Parts: sequence; structure tokens; C-alpha cells
Amino acid sequence: MGVDLDRRAVTWGLVAVAVTVAMVILGSAGLRWFDAALVGYLFGVLFAIFGTVYRYAVWLRRPPTAVMRRRGWQAFFDRDIRRGNLRMVPGLVGANLLAQSFISKRSRLRWIAHQLVFWGCVLAVLVTFPLVFGWFHFESVGQRGREYQAFVAGFGTITFGSRTPFGWVVFHLLDISAVLVLAGVFIFLSRRLRDPGALAVERANDFLPLAGLFAVSVTGIMLTVSNLWMEGRFYTFITTLHALTVILGLMYVPFGKLFHIFQRPANLGAEFYKRAGAHGPQQACRECGAQFASALQMGDLKEEVLPQMGFDYRLDDGHWQDVCPRCRRRLFALAQSARVGGFG
Amino acid sequence: MPTLTEYVPDAPGEMGDRVFVVDQSRCIGCQACVQACEECGTHRGHSMMQLDFIDRGATVQTVPLICMHCADPTCAEVCPADAIKQNEDGIVQSSLKPRCIACWNCVNACPFGIPKKMFELDQMMKCDMCYDRSSVGLAPMCASVCPSQALWFGTPQEFDATRTGVLEDTMVFGGQYVRTKVQVVVHEPGPVAVAPGRRYTHWTDDPFGLDEGPAEADVSRDWPLAPALSAAQQRQAGPGAWPVAHGAGAGAGAGGVGGSAAGDAGDSRTEGARP
Amino acid sequence: MARPPLTEEELVARYGPHLNTAPPGGWSADADIDRMVRTHCCFCGQQCGIILKVADDEVVGFEPWYEFPFNEGKLCPKGVKRYLQGNHPDRLLEPLERDPAAPRGFREVSWDHALDRVAREIRRIQAENGKDSFAILNGASLTSEKAYLIGKFARLAIGTSNSDYNGRLCMVSAGHGYNKAFGVDRAPNPWSDIPRADVVFVAGANIAECAPITTSYIWRARDNGARLIVADPRVTPIARTADVFLGLRPGTDSALLGSILHVLVERDWVDHEFVDAHVEGFEEAAAAVAGYTPAWASDVTGVPAARIEEAAEIWGTAASGMILHARGLEHHTSGVDNVSAAINLALATGRIGRPGSGPCMVTGQGNGQGAREHGNKSEQLPGMRRIDDPEARAYISEVWGCTDEELRGKGYSAEEIVWAIDRGEIKGLLSICFNPVVSLPDSNTTRRALEKLEFFAVVDFFLSETAFHADVVLPGSLQEEGEGVVTTLEGRVVKINEAKPPPGNARRDVDIFCDLAGRLGAGRYFPYRDTREIFDELRVASKGGVADYYGMTWERIEEENGIFWPCPEEGHPGTPRLFEDRRFRTPSGRARMVPVAFRPPAEVVDSEYPVWLTTGRVVSQYLSGTQTRRIGPLVKQYPEPLCEIHPRLAREHGIESGDVVRVSSRRGTMTLPATVVSTIRPDTVFIPYHWAGDRAANQLTNPALDPESRIPEFKTCAVRVERVGPGGATVDRRDYETRTGDAPDTGDAPNTAAGGVPGEAPGPATPPGSGT
Repeated sequence: MGVDLDRRAVTWGLVAVAVTVAMVILGSAGLRWFDAALVGYLFGVLFAIFGTVYRYAVWLRRPPTAVMRRRGWQAFFDRDIRRGNLRMVPGLVGANLLAQSFISKRSRLRWIAHQLVFWGCVLAVLVTFPLVFGWFHFESVGQRGREYQAFVAGFGTITFGSRTPFGWVVFHLLDISAVLVLAGVFIFLSRRLRDPGALAVERANDFLPLAGLFAVSVTGIMLTVSNLWMEGRFYTFITTLHALTVILGLMYVPFGKLFHIFQRPANLGAEFYKRAGAHGPQQACRECGAQFASALQMGDLKEEVLPQMGFDYRLDDGHWQDVCPRCRRRLFALAQSARVGGFG
Repeated sequence: MPTLTEYVPDAPGEMGDRVFVVDQSRCIGCQACVQACEECGTHRGHSMMQLDFIDRGATVQTVPLICMHCADPTCAEVCPADAIKQNEDGIVQSSLKPRCIACWNCVNACPFGIPKKMFELDQMMKCDMCYDRSSVGLAPMCASVCPSQALWFGTPQEFDATRTGVLEDTMVFGGQYVRTKVQVVVHEPGPVAVAPGRRYTHWTDDPFGLDEGPAEADVSRDWPLAPALSAAQQRQAGPGAWPVAHGAGAGAGAGGVGGSAAGDAGDSRTEGARP
Repeated sequence: MARPPLTEEELVARYGPHLNTAPPGGWSADADIDRMVRTHCCFCGQQCGIILKVADDEVVGFEPWYEFPFNEGKLCPKGVKRYLQGNHPDRLLEPLERDPAAPRGFREVSWDHALDRVAREIRRIQAENGKDSFAILNGASLTSEKAYLIGKFARLAIGTSNSDYNGRLCMVSAGHGYNKAFGVDRAPNPWSDIPRADVVFVAGANIAECAPITTSYIWRARDNGARLIVADPRVTPIARTADVFLGLRPGTDSALLGSILHVLVERDWVDHEFVDAHVEGFEEAAAAVAGYTPAWASDVTGVPAARIEEAAEIWGTAASGMILHARGLEHHTSGVDNVSAAINLALATGRIGRPGSGPCMVTGQGNGQGAREHGNKSEQLPGMRRIDDPEARAYISEVWGCTDEELRGKGYSAEEIVWAIDRGEIKGLLSICFNPVVSLPDSNTTRRALEKLEFFAVVDFFLSETAFHADVVLPGSLQEEGEGVVTTLEGRVVKINEAKPPPGNARRDVDIFCDLAGRLGAGRYFPYRDTREIFDELRVASKGGVADYYGMTWERIEEENGIFWPCPEEGHPGTPRLFEDRRFRTPSGRARMVPVAFRPPAEVVDSEYPVWLTTGRVVSQYLSGTQTRRIGPLVKQYPEPLCEIHPRLAREHGIESGDVVRVSSRRGTMTLPATVVSTIRPDTVFIPYHWAGDRAANQLTNPALDPESRIPEFKTCAVRVERVGPGGATVDRRDYETRTGDAPDTGDAPNTAAGGVPGEAPGPATPPGSGT
């Protein structure tokens, strides 16, 4: 985050906030169904949306990202491979974004932990955001208060008994998500603490989100505990604490490690970029002749990304990156060996 | 559980002023570094070493390389996903697992050709100088085991005391100067200019002296056609029997028993060798 | 008849080699390390210090042992991956008995059954055919305690004089050469002398691949300004930057060295003062090379005469210098002579007993030095005593409490034992730590001989290709599953520490031999409760001998990071550098220069077999590969033998890199991929020997022996080379599995040093250099 605010990114952020606010007003029938007790959460969400959109906008304008975005979309709509691209989308989304199978190749346990946290958070967001936005609420039906009806944007939908299994699940959705998240957090933590290698390269940045998720989940579960087994003691205190952790957590999203949630979909763009590259001509190494990357990507690197990032790898007759990685290593060694007369 | 640091003679607790030095000219290509690299805690099971032949058909010279850890890392700058970070020690870390989108921009841009495409993991990985070790003062795995010490880790003072050459941390590629944390050995200080077109640097183009006159070694045909003698016959033939020693003195036992076959051999050799 | 119960392919499928590729539980397993065991690598005579990480009684990894002075943490790839030999799926866990009807070819039996049968067969064969009809073969990778125990076992428990070891394929030529010159069979200098030399002459030693850590010593010498001379038929990695490279024809070493001596004498680069005072035989040695002008030697060796003179000048005018030599000189029918020729260069210039000066053999096997000192070698008794020396016999029979008769006498050497089996003279064999089917020359003959055995018992931890022939297999212990001492190539005695117990029903080798001795009725000679008692007896047995260990204790050895022998009494600091007092252990007390006249190899090229073959090692494999062919990452590094061939010779036959070629000698034929490299002489091809079956280079080699040392001529024979077809034209099934089983995990150019260029279809991996 630079000190100077990026004006275009601020604009995008404000637009996103405005859109959200508008949707809240529309979805809650003019705030009729908006729960004032949740206003703190709303502000947290709005801040997170502003921050995330701001950072996203800044990120997208970095030269490598901008090229990737532009090329990704171009490749996606490329006439020759459009059909194949479209067919690939469900698979890519399923494997890369939902199942995250690439993590399981790194470590099965890490994948399990990530899936637990991921689905726990998704569940929590799906439940709480509509509640906070006033898009969704429950009303008790009948006299005894054991029947509830769910309302979406003010329209009544299903009715269910609070003591039925379905009712139990609905009222404990957030507890379920908290348990999922906690399980994942514990696996992550135990792995990190036991693995000296991981510990060495981890930084505070990696522990903070785990701590945040832990705090949110624990305080959330404690609300239920207080309600069910402690006759509501400390309930207000825990509510405040929980709200605080959630709001802080939301505010952290744009800054820390969790921002990868929004970056990760760029992986799809990279897939299409690589696909388009593979479809076109390839870059041959000027030393050994081997094709080592797509001409599309190498052209982007040499003509846009590298110069825009302040690098000048131009040679008299071309570009250093016209040499394949393996020949770069060989030529480096030869240059060094020449400087030591064959033996250092 | 015993930790790594228990076994350090004098772990300073950080990298201190120790530097990583590469002298490719000393490499013997044994791959101890390649094998040891995957034993490192930060990337267990994956070797980040780069080890290549220059041109095996012509020379046994090999190139061992770890990440050079640029001061201003090209790989990180061209990463669209902000996935490559440099830490306070100047170590350019492997890509962050959650962020890397496997676009391979870093692989294609790195001037040294270091980052690796890990297709299975859908991620780029590279050397982090065994940060679990170097951050507590231990030598990285590759430099620890390297039998030729082409990969070396220590203080500049230790280097000066034990080795020839000076350390250089700047390389030039076309118009680009690249300063690195890892240093290379040169005889005279000054940036190392790396350019296309250089062929292998054999210490000589003709190791067997094929072009040096009488001792022409390409003799798959003109080698003396001595009949194969049994070991016993050979012992009987006595010393110096084959080929016949010629020149100044006949040499010890030049006319030994069994000299006729050997003599023929010597003669044919002489013909072949002295046109 | 000791025939394998199933086909080789079936046995390989059941008993391996299979590949172990990751630590127990996989790379991501969280192992809580229970112990860090300071010990030594089991591969090669350098015996690098290493710390093994042990979790739940399995070795799960290693940590460099920075404080051990020899290697200061350095390791070659074998040392790095040595821990993968433990917890291996091929490990033998139960005694086996051959049973062709059993699905695995062998059935599991109890220890009692197995040992009783071995004892019974030994006694039966000896009763029917005489005591010497049962032989024992053992190895130089065993600890000194085991070697001592087995030598004693052969003589006192079995009662045979036919006991020899696989150092017969390794160090015997050097041993004979040094014994003749100095009366001591040990490298005279510690390796710390190498950096102090003004010139380092590496003759027939592929240091980079066969003693990789020694590279750092040579580079340190060069940092100090030393010149480097290398003599080798191939441009080895260490030769690449040499000041003078002498690319000689295989088998012509003594012509080359003799010619250098000729120049030294002619130019009077001789240390007359030293020669007059301390050397005998100088005149005779000089006379023997009187005709060996550089021009003559150039014709014989193929080395330009000017380079021979240059080498002589560098050697002759330096203030100090060391000659390092290994199997390149020694694996010849003139092996002992070649060693003498090397020693002569040192003696003529007075280079012995001084810092940075001396001839040094580079010992190959794990305990190649220690194992040959203590009586498992056919002509020796413990302490490097000669078995035909009455005084030595008297002393040892007193220590052992046996009669002179029981000590037996000098028997056959290893190769001769195989010949005697082939002739029907020896009918029973017990073998440990030896894989002759792979490591002896002319493997077709070796296999045929083994099949003639009436009874064959093998002690091993994996079912080696030799053990395929066994009637009974006794599962023994790995180096890290017991303790003891080994002696490194420097003559430094170091301590091997136990990291874990043997798995399953496998037993420690020492326990197996002591148990068997009891069943042979010789228990009174083997009362040891533990290995330390064997060492303590060894100390006494070596007392007063050349290799005197009497002053050493296990504790001292560990505290002092090893002790150099001789160490004759407690408190003696050991002897890193021999002969500082110029007193040699020859009868005259003078060092002896032996006249050496060039003798051609036993087999030379002709029109039918016009190409020289030389064999050797690669850095990723150890000896016959029983262990290293089972370690995945090492196999991946150099998966199969390749035939190195010069472009000129290749062009004559239309061979390109990756093509499959057929190499034939008078003894056998093999097909393998070629790698076309200009780093080998154009008249010579090279094949590494670590593989078995139809990938064994020793199908081709010549079993001719050196008349003195009885070492086979692995380094030279005559072959014919033909192109069979393009890559993959014909390979056996195992090649195929190895090649396809393990794809590199990187999309960039393969991370191994493959010879091809990126983007090309990967041919057979061209290994980095490879060795004589």
C-alpha cells in the first residue's frame, strides 16, 4: 500500500461501496428488514469491500498483472479456441477454485485443512452477509414460537420447526462453519509448528490470519455455548467481542494473506493465456534452438512487462530473454569460467 | 527433539556477514547438491538445484547454480500475482503457495534461468538458500555437502584466507546490470558480462593431442596388430617386449623372448605413427 | 548345484533391485527425531563423517557433520542418499532356503534350521573332499572387527586356507607395491598434506567420481598455487582444468611413468642426497627406463612427447609433490609394476615422509584399508602380518590359543577361488559382502562356476545377484546396524556407531558368525559377548604388527576424531604421516625402488577386436550396486550403463549419442546406449561396471591376473563395437522400467545434468563425467 492513494482505485472502491449500499437498501426493502444491531458488521463489510476493490484495482494495473488480465480475456474470447475455453471453465473453476486440487498435490493434510477453512468461511459468508444486508431474515410463525419462516428480500419462503433437525441445522449453521474453520486452523498450526522448514519461511503475515480465524470462530461458538449452557451469561460481552473480531477480520482482508482469495481466480486467466500461447508460435532459444515458451508470452515480457518494470535486457541484436533458461545458466557459467581462466 | 542448531559449532543465530559463493569452474558435476537440496526443510522432496552440462559431447564441464538472490529480483517484478517476496535478509523466497498462478513469467524472465516449473503443484519453486538453515547460521545443504566447494558459504574473510580470486556480485546482461546476494569468483574485480554466443571453454581443444604430430591417438585401425597373448605368454614375453622400445636405447629387455610377435607389433606401430 | 531357483527376471521382480525414493513415511511425514548418530558413510574409503537422523529406530535422514575434520560436512550424492538403504522393501528379514517349488524361489526358515544346515554342509563337504574344499569370500566394506572375525572364523571354525576378500579386486596391487617399497601397505600421508603439495599428480584416479571429497583437497592445493597433472584415458572432471593432461592409452601406465622417470634421471631432477641415504635400487630402476624416451613412450602411450617432458619438468622441479593413484594404475596384469613406477617417481625426488610429499593410494572400498589388515586376506594374519612368517604365526596362534596347524596357510585369491570352483576343486562356499557375479571379470564364467557348487551360503541384507545362487541366505546387518571401527584411505581409524537394530529377524553379522562357529564346534574361540570384545582382541592381535592398533580404544578414537595407525601403546598419538624418521619397514630399512619394465596388457587390440575397453565407476553408484542400485535418486542420476565413445570412432561406425551399440569381447557381448563424447581417447571405449545381468560390463572384461597381486585386469581388454540401432532398439525389461518409472518433476530442462538440449526428446541421461 503506497502512501499516496491511487485516485482511480479510490474511485473504484467507492463505486463498489455505493453499489453495495444500494443493494442493501433495495434488498432490505428500504432498510425495513435491516437489523440495526448488525450495523457494525455492515461497516466492516463495506470497509473490506472498499479495501479489497482498491487493492485489486491497484494490483490489476501493475504491468505484469495488466498484461495477464488483458491477455487472459483476449485468449478467453479468441475465436479459434473460444469453444474449448468455454468448455474448460467449469472444470477449471471446479478443480482450481473449489476443489483446489493443486493443494492436495503439495500435501494431502494441507489440502484437507484448506478445504475445511475454505468451506467454513464460504458457509459463514453465505449465512451472515445476507443477514447483515437485510436480504434475509427469520420470523416466528404461530403462537408458540416454535415455527419459523425464512424471508428473502421481504418475501416469505419456507416455514420450519425450530426443534426439527432442519431447524437445528439452520440455527447452527454458523457453529458448523466455526467448527470446520477451527479444525482447519488446528491442522495448519500443528503442521507449521512441527515443520522447522515451514517455520523458517513463515512470517507474522502467515500467522495473523490463522489467529483471526481462530478468534472469530471461538467467540462465535461461545455465543452458542453461553446461550445453551450458561443461561446467557456473558452473552453481551461475547457478542461485542465476536463483533469486534469479525469486524477487525473483515478490515484485514484487503491487506494480508487473505487477499489471495481474490487473486487466485487470475489463475484461470493464466490458464487461458498459456492455452493461447501454446496455440500460437513458440519462442526458440537463440543458442540451442529449443522452443521454451510461447512467443506471445515472451513478446509481452520483452516488449511490455520488463521495460515497464524498469529492466533493460536488450542486446545489440535481440534480447537476453531470447536465450532459454538452460542456456542462460550455461552462458553464465562460461562467462564466469572465462574470468577465472578455467579454474577459480 | 534435537534441532538443527544444536549441532552448529558456533551458530551466530543469523546469516551475519556470511555470503554464498559460486565458482562454476570448480564443479565436478557429482550432483551431491542436487541430492542434498531436496533434504532441506523448506522444500523437502523437491530439489531446487540447477545442474547442467555445458555440452557433454565436448567437455565434462558442468554448471551448478542456486538462485542468485538479486537485489532487485526480476522474477518478483514480473510476477503478476505478487507471489515472490524478498525478506529482510535479502533472500528472494520461493513463490507463495496461495498466490502463484503458474504463469511462468518468472521462469521466462529470470536472467540466470533459475526458477523451476513444478507442473504437479501448479506452482513455481526456487531456491530460498535453505532459509531454515541459513537463517540460523547454518550453511545451506548444497554448500554443506559440495565436494568441490564450487558452492561455498562463509564470511568474506574466510574466503580470502583460503581461496584464490575475488568475489563479484554484479552481472551484466545486455543493458541490464544485476546485483546479487550470491557472489561469483573471478580473478579481477569487475562485473561479469554474460552474452550469447560463447562456446564451451575447454582448457584445450585437443585434450588427447590428436593434432600434435606423431602421437596421434586415433588409432582404432593402425594400432599394432599384436596377436592376443595369454597372460602367461605375456609374462614370458618379458618387460619391454611390446612395442619395441626404439630411439636412443633399446630399453630393458627389448629383445626379450616372444619378441617376434611383439616386434611386428612395434614395427607396424612405427609405420602407422611416423608417416 | 547352486542354480538360481527362478529366472533372473523373476528373482528381480521378487527381491529387487526395487527403488526406495523417499524417507520412511514420505517427504511430508512429521518425524520426531529421537537420536542424531555421529558415524561414517558406508560408501567408499574416504569414510566421510555424517550424522544420521533416527526416528522410531529408522534412519530418516542426515545432517552434515561439520566438525569431522576429513570432510567437514561434505558428502557426495551416495552419502547424501545412503539413508535410503534402510527401511527398504527389498530388505531380507528372515533366513531363506532355496526352494524352486516356492512361489518366491526361496522359503523362509528358522535361524536354527538355516545355521544347522550351513554347519552340516560345511562338515560334509570337508569330510568328503578335504578341508580346503570349502571356501569363504568376504568383503572390504565390513568393519575391521567383522573382517578380523571372519578371518579367524575361516581358519579356526571352518579350517580352510581358501579365504579371500573383494579387496582383491581393489587394493592388492597398491598393497604389494607399497609393501615392496616401504614394507607398509598404507597411504603414507594424511590428506591434509595434499594442500601443502606444490604439484599434485593424479594418475589413474577419477577423483571426482570415486573419491569426490578429495576434490576439495586438490582444489585447496591449487588455491595454494599447486600445479595439477592428470593421467587418464578420459578427461575426467578433475582433469578438465589440469595444467598437464596425459591422455594415455589404457594399460600403458608404466611406460608413461617410466618415461617420466627417464626424464628425471636424464635431466638430473633427482634428490641424490635422499636417494643415497635412504633408497636402494635406484640404479636398477633407472637402468630399466634407460630406453624410455618421451618419443618412445609417446608411441606406446599415445601421449604427446612434449607433454611427458612437461609433466616430468613440473614434477622434477617442484619442491614438494604428491602422486595420487587408484585403480587406473592397479587394475592391470602389471598393476603392481604400475604402482612401483609411481612410487619410483616419489622416491627419486625424495618425496616421502615430508609434508606435502608422498605417493598415496586412493583406497576405494568402505573399509578397504582396515579390512585388509586383519586377516581376511588370503596371505595375511591380523596386524598386516604375513601368513608365511613363522614369527607372526607363533604370535597369532598364541593370541588365539590355537595350534600352528589350525592357522592354515595361504590359499587361493578371490578370482582363483572361482576358478577352483569351476574346476570342481572347491565344492562349498560361504560369502558375505561380496557380489562376484557383478564384480569379478568375465561374469559368464563366474556364474557358471557358482552353479557347480554343491553348497552355497550367503550372508547379505539384500538378495544380491550372487545370492540368487545360494542354497541358504542368512539375513545380515547394514553398516548402521552394528558398531565397530573402519580405517579410512588416510590410515585413520574411525568409529562406526549403531543407529538402529537390524529389522525383523535379521541379525548382526558378528552374531551370525559367532553362532555358526559354535555350531561348527569352535565356540571356544569365539566367546565374544559384544563387538567391543572383538576389537579388544584385535588390538592385542595387531600388537607389534605393521598395522598396530594396540594403543587405540573406541573412546579415544571417537574423542580424537580418529587415530592414524600405527598406534603401538596407550597414549601414543597415532601416526598421521609415515616415515618422517626415514626408517622404512623393509629388511634393509631403506625404501626400495623396483625396476619396472613396461609389459603390455594381457589382451591387446587386433583386427578382430580393434578397440580398447576400459571400465570404471560413476559417482552415483558403489561397487556392484547391491545397495546403490536400490536407492531411487541415485539410480535416477545415472540409470543404466552407457558406452562412452569418441566422435571419431563413432563416426566410423555411424554411431550417434543415444544409439544402441553392441560391444563384444572374446568372453561376452552386451548391448547398451552409446554416448558420444570427445572426452575419451578415440581408440578406447568406457563402460561403468555397477550393473548386473545383461547390463554387466564384466561380461566383457578379461580375467587375466597380475602375477603378484592376483588382481584382475579390469581396466584393459580388446573389444569390437557395432551399432545396433537407434535409442531404445534393444533393452531389457529392467532398463525400460528404470527409464520410464521416474519422470523429472520439473518442466524446465531436466534438473539432472542431462546431455541433450531442452526440447529434444530425452535420450539416455548422459551422466556428468564418469570414472576410471
